[in-house]
Amino acid sequence: MQEAIKIPASLRRMVAESAVVVVGRRGCCMSHVAKRLLQGLGANPAVFEVDDKCEDDVLVELRAAELPVVFVGGRWLGGLDRIMASHITGELTPLLKQAGALWL
Amino acid sequence: MMNSTSTHFVPSRRMGIYEPIHQMGMWVDFKGNDCLDASPPMILEVDPKLDNQSEDTSHGTVGPSHKYDQEASKPPKVLRRLAQNREAARKSRLRKKAYVQQLESSKLRLIQLEQELGRARQQGLYAGSALDASPLDYAGCTNPGIATFELEYGQWVEEQDRDLSDLRDALHSSETRDSELQKFVDDGLRHYFELFRMKAIAAKTDVFYLMSGMWKTSAERFFFWIGGFRPSELLKVLLPHLEPLSEQQCLDLGNLAQSCQQAEDALSQGMEQLHLIVGEAVAKQLGEGNYLPMVGAAIEKLDDLVRFVGQADHLRQEILQHILRILTTRQAARGLLALGEYFQRLRALSLLWSSRPRESS
Repeated sequence: MQEAIKIPASLRRMVAESAVVVVGRRGCCMSHVAKRLLQGLGANPAVFEVDDKCEDDVLVELRAAELPVVFVGGRWLGGLDRIMASHITGELTPLLKQAGALWL
Repeated sequence: MMNSTSTHFVPSRRMGIYEPIHQMGMWVDFKGNDCLDASPPMILEVDPKLDNQSEDTSHGTVGPSHKYDQEASKPPKVLRRLAQNREAARKSRLRKKAYVQQLESSKLRLIQLEQELGRARQQGLYAGSALDASPLDYAGCTNPGIATFELEYGQWVEEQDRDLSDLRDALHSSETRDSELQKFVDDGLRHYFELFRMKAIAAKTDVFYLMSGMWKTSAERFFFWIGGFRPSELLKVLLPHLEPLSEQQCLDLGNLAQSCQQAEDALSQGMEQLHLIVGEAVAKQLGEGNYLPMVGAAIEKLDDLVRFVGQADHLRQEILQHILRILTTRQAARGLLALGEYFQRLRALSLLWSSRPRESS
């Protein structure tokens, strides 16, 4: 994992330092959905915008099929499907609380 | 000869899908029409050229192959007139070619429409959706993927009606065991998932068609949200029919309703964002005539639309699954029956509405 560091250091730093991070393509509406959902729950997600040309590299590094992806408490949570599903089952809010993303 | 073809396309006021054909009938009537550059037909245009030729016979033979030899010796006014006539004749030939091509494809569309109508009539209640199609939404007829979807959806509705009838009988019989009801619940859920699977395939073929709701009846369209029913609406419809509920169930359902609303809002806001982005892309640099780069950029952004339909269906699926997890078997069975009947009533409402007597003008 240390050999091919294509993810910018800034992203690694953001994931390590922020309670919740949304990694999305610049101008993508699905990223907007992820952001809005988290904001609606009272979280304030850090947003990492990926340029079109870097997208493939980032996807390979993150081992993801598509953007957006969300990190909570420095750990990988998943894509939009996963966020929605975990919110419906009630798993998301406790996770956010644990990571210190919610103040209430 | 040309007039006789126009009688095959009988435009019906209600069937707006025929309007493009009607417009071509107007071309045939020599009235001139915007859709074909408002021009008189070819025969009349050739006449000025013939007139010119009779004027110029004193200079020798005038034919297309000799025009460049002869041009140097003609006055500029005549040269200009000849050039204009050539151009007019060329445009006229192109127009005629386009008209013939339009006729051919419209004939095909007409055949497909007739087949569809026949199928729709056979399917009874489902017929409502094909008959009140607007002129802009005829894509379904020419797209085989969509035609397949429409056919399969018709079958899906029929199967749904049969299953609901069986479920109703089972619930009303005092002898039905919970294990049997559980089977109904599992099958019912699986049937909805089948629809989501069909929709995902159709969305890749023509997402606009799916988003338009043209495959559903008009009353269902009234309640439409991103390609289907609104999940929060589903909860509101079901809740009164699930009583009596335990305290834990009330709590869980309350939380579910809230999560559902939040997820829905996030998706709605994402759609608004998409509207903005596509609108901006299309509206870039208006007035310059060349629209291809802007429209091309807009098409790229529309890929997100397919994902939206997928996410909305995913939400519907998650909500359905989770509700049924919270409920007992009998409550779940009652809930599925209530949901199915709700959609049946919307379909019946559409049919009644479309067949109500209209005032004569």
